[in-house]
Amino acid sequence: MTTAATQQSAGSGLKRLVERYPFLPALAILVVLLALNGIYQPRSVSLVGITGLVKTYLALMLLAVAQTYVVFAGDIDLSAGAIVSLVNVVIIVLMEQWGGGPFMVLAAMGVGILAGFACGIINGFVVAGLRLQAIVATFATSIFFTGLALYVLPVAGMPAPAAFWRTYGGRFFEVPFVFYAVAVLATVLYLLACTRLVTRLLAVGDDAQAAFQSGLPVTAIRIRGYVLCGLFAALAAFCITGDTASGDPLVGGKMTLFSVAAVVLGGTALSGGFGTVVGSLIGALIIGLINSLVYFMGVPSQWQNLVQGVAILLALMAGVMIGRRARR
Amino acid sequence: MTGGPALAFIRQPLVVALVLILALLLLGEILSPGFASGRQILRLLIVAALLGIVAAGQNLVILGGREGIDLSVGGVVSLSALIAGNLMSGSDAGIPLAILACVATGALFGILNGLGITLLRIPPLVMTLGMLGVLQGLLVVVRQGIPSGRAAPSLSQFVTQPFLFGLPGIIWLWIAVGLLMAFLLQRTVFGHRIYAIGSNERAAFMAGVPIRTVRVSLFALSGVFAAIAGICLLGYSGSSFANVGEQYMLPSIIAVVFGGTPLAGGKGGYTGTMAGAVLLVVLQSILTTINIDESGRQMVFGATLLVLMLFYGRGRAMRA
Amino acid sequence: MSKLKLIGVSKAYGATQALRRGDLEIESGEVHVLIGSNGSGKSTLCKIVAGSVRPDGGEVLLDGKPVDVSGPRAARALGIGIFYQELSLAAHRTVAENICLADLPMKAGIFIDREALTERAQHYIALFDGVAGDGFSAATVVEGLRADQRQLVEIMKALASEAPVLIFDEPTSALDRAQVERFFDILRRLKSEGRSIVFISHRMDEIFAIGDRVTVIRDGETVATSAIAATDSASVIRLMVGNEDELAPPTEAPATSSPASRDTLLSVRGFSGKGFANISFDVARGEIVGFGGLHGQGQSSVLRAIFGASPVTSGEIVLDGRTITTGNPRAAIRNGLAYVSGDRGREGIIQGRPILENLMPIHYLRDRLLLASPASLREKAKPAVEALHTKFAGFSHPINSLSGGNQQKIVIARWLIDRPDVLLLDDPTKGIDLSAKADLFTLIRKLAKEGMGIVLYSSEDAELLNNADRILVFNGGSVSRDLTGSERTRYNLYQAAYEAA
Repeated sequence: MTTAATQQSAGSGLKRLVERYPFLPALAILVVLLALNGIYQPRSVSLVGITGLVKTYLALMLLAVAQTYVVFAGDIDLSAGAIVSLVNVVIIVLMEQWGGGPFMVLAAMGVGILAGFACGIINGFVVAGLRLQAIVATFATSIFFTGLALYVLPVAGMPAPAAFWRTYGGRFFEVPFVFYAVAVLATVLYLLACTRLVTRLLAVGDDAQAAFQSGLPVTAIRIRGYVLCGLFAALAAFCITGDTASGDPLVGGKMTLFSVAAVVLGGTALSGGFGTVVGSLIGALIIGLINSLVYFMGVPSQWQNLVQGVAILLALMAGVMIGRRARR
Repeated sequence: MTGGPALAFIRQPLVVALVLILALLLLGEILSPGFASGRQILRLLIVAALLGIVAAGQNLVILGGREGIDLSVGGVVSLSALIAGNLMSGSDAGIPLAILACVATGALFGILNGLGITLLRIPPLVMTLGMLGVLQGLLVVVRQGIPSGRAAPSLSQFVTQPFLFGLPGIIWLWIAVGLLMAFLLQRTVFGHRIYAIGSNERAAFMAGVPIRTVRVSLFALSGVFAAIAGICLLGYSGSSFANVGEQYMLPSIIAVVFGGTPLAGGKGGYTGTMAGAVLLVVLQSILTTINIDESGRQMVFGATLLVLMLFYGRGRAMRA
Repeated sequence: MSKLKLIGVSKAYGATQALRRGDLEIESGEVHVLIGSNGSGKSTLCKIVAGSVRPDGGEVLLDGKPVDVSGPRAARALGIGIFYQELSLAAHRTVAENICLADLPMKAGIFIDREALTERAQHYIALFDGVAGDGFSAATVVEGLRADQRQLVEIMKALASEAPVLIFDEPTSALDRAQVERFFDILRRLKSEGRSIVFISHRMDEIFAIGDRVTVIRDGETVATSAIAATDSASVIRLMVGNEDELAPPTEAPATSSPASRDTLLSVRGFSGKGFANISFDVARGEIVGFGGLHGQGQSSVLRAIFGASPVTSGEIVLDGRTITTGNPRAAIRNGLAYVSGDRGREGIIQGRPILENLMPIHYLRDRLLLASPASLREKAKPAVEALHTKFAGFSHPINSLSGGNQQKIVIARWLIDRPDVLLLDDPTKGIDLSAKADLFTLIRKLAKEGMGIVLYSSEDAELLNNADRILVFNGGSVSRDLTGSERTRYNLYQAAYEAA
């Protein structure tokens, strides 16, 4: 037993730092990618370049955050992208029907939030309440939500009111709107990290049986995780609506797997109980920067997807391995 | 075959699936007379065979436990269909080379998955998700230059036209896969080792089961089955087009679950998965038959999947 | 009127009856010891009271009123706190968060009040001030703690419930002397406050040091309750084992023919690894070497390391004159070693699979088989299972349909198809019935007579005394005594085990 104690104190400071801030390896990758982007295309690290990056990837960042809360509890949500699609078409159609006035836009967004909330409740109910396997059950709900989105708007293309996308792409007091959004997001995430719910989600993900035996309402906690996921997916839908300025019932479908990848890149364990939302934000940006870097490096267009795929796979593997080394 | 209670144990989900299939066929026939005609059923079976062959590999990976899952099967199916199309380009002469190349490609990606999962201990979901991205990128590269390939005439004939006793070759192929899987799982040491690592990896390790070798083989087989399905899919559709395989990723997992193999692994088998594949295909087909639009179809499909899942073991309650 | 009363509580897991008839009556202001051998149903009984296991039948009365403990939350509301033997900690959370997990202090309705959290946790941490060891603080993440420190966190967590009824299911198994004494001080204080405490331990000295009354439970049934002052360890043990003496293997000490005259089969030299250091011993052909001592002194670790299941930092193994390396169990098996774990659920049986498949893995490996033909495999398996008098309906039945004892027989029979040279037994009789134990030891002695070398670790002294030719007593990861011949007495074993602990 004494040997174990000496081993522990010998653990390096860096290791302890990574243990405390599991997103550090991802941050390092992010910095390297930013530098490489800057080398190949100096303009990409200018204010305009960064604004463009954030504008394009804010939706994925939010969806990665959404996914993180579910993963904290050891669950997964394969319907996250479908929720984005649903909320996207709901607000687009409502804004169209109610006219594009500012209050109507806000009202439509309120309904969008409610839609995300409802989707979260449904997911939480089938996974935690009915105890179905998260992977297959949320796949089934994703089909359902996609169907709903198709019902709301059968074909892509309905435009968003100008007030909406001009705000998203615009500037206030010389500062791009998306930066305000990021600042608000950071505050919200910080506050959420201080809540009892997040600690309880992590405790459930650590060992659900132990959490139950300790007297935590495990089912209710997991449902709340899915609700958080639904709410952040709705926010992601707002961003994607602002970025694309139109409605598309399938817009979020491809984002689901990227959101899972971003969570893993950020150092969060898919098995639950360990991780940070900051990591997921960084993970989403890493995906964005890999994509832009491959473009700036002048990779022939037909090879770009392959290089991106390989780079993301390698980053995923590195993320898992560094994270594990830090924890052991 | 082992007799007695063991059989009853395995059969239970299978019976559920078969009863559901019959009920759906009946429902289909009522809604749209001719739905359950021999010809229609044959067409359904061809579609089910494609899914079923992909699900065979998925089934093996899931049986092996440790959160085994293969999200890259869809990518392998697409890539294989593409490679086969390019190598055949409409002529029978290319068939042997195409089969060889596709199977080798599938095995290669499966082995890469398996090595990442066993040697580097990357969770299967992450590893195969990343590999899916690589495959999708490769798809773009391979598609470049050569206009989309066409299936060899004999291949199309094999998949779509009667081959023996009025059944198309792909049905016979599927039956052969079924027999092979049953033999593999029940009568070979490898099969018993799959169940051992899936049911209790620690105990298997202590009893000398070569866990890594078995697990890598499972992913390799998953790649091979997906590649074979890709070739057949080319035969079915005549020419290869972008990302045809994507539609198989999650349905292959659902077919396995509907066949009575839980995602936790260690129990179940392929007979159930075959029924699960048919069940899924019949369900989808019934939804196309009835007169509702795409949105309604998807909603009903999603909701029905959820209801069906309730038939197949829910998770354990916290309070035992 | 008693504080807590259980009447005829029962619980079955599938075919296994974990608890047949649990009766228990606890007063306010007493420490009530619950004792029974492994698998007798103590933990199940505790978990029923704590709400985490749903009973099949029986009644729970609190303050004389029947209550429905519908879950752990309900138990807390009723004033029942529990220390779980397997611990209920969240590994990546801090000590403070774990201590207060069930009732995290809040501010503004949704946020955790970090200051209040630390303060509350500090109150319980302070109780173990000076004995908790290095690196133990409210902010430490539980994963980085040693086994004894984790156990302290679980104790603090139970204490933090401030419940009138506190259950401690083996809270001292990893603690050192000073920690145990401090814990007992706390228990005495709680007792004086009028709390009711259930205490489970396997250490007789602890039971007599802290207990007021003792209830003995055997094979899932409450056997007797008596005041500690009115009993002694011998009569408690007699109640625990029941009529075991009649069924136990013959107590004639095994032939003490001088092992030196026999040829050495297995020789372990300077073996060190996690949990043990510099272990050396020889096993002669036909010899049964016993590993004794208190639980967790390195016996299991040594056996597992020899078998290649856990890493070794230094040392060598010589088997039958050849130096062998066992990097993993597969290499060990190929070299002729065998290992049977007492934890058959985790390391022995392959759940849900047919008995035949459970019998075959070693044969598959040693014969390098590819095909598994049931008929010929059955022929090979038959003599092995018959040697152990295994009762089962058919080879194709799932292993789970058997009783615990018969499951363990199947696990052991695995090794009898292709005989190993050396059999390592790691507490093989844990939680199995008496007749199965008797069958097992008859077989072990027979195997030894046929020339196999056997290393037997058992947590039950009687098994060692009755079967081992030689007993190496482990203490703190090394061998403190080597008892041979007439030295093999319960007294010597006990003394050597406790010497420096």
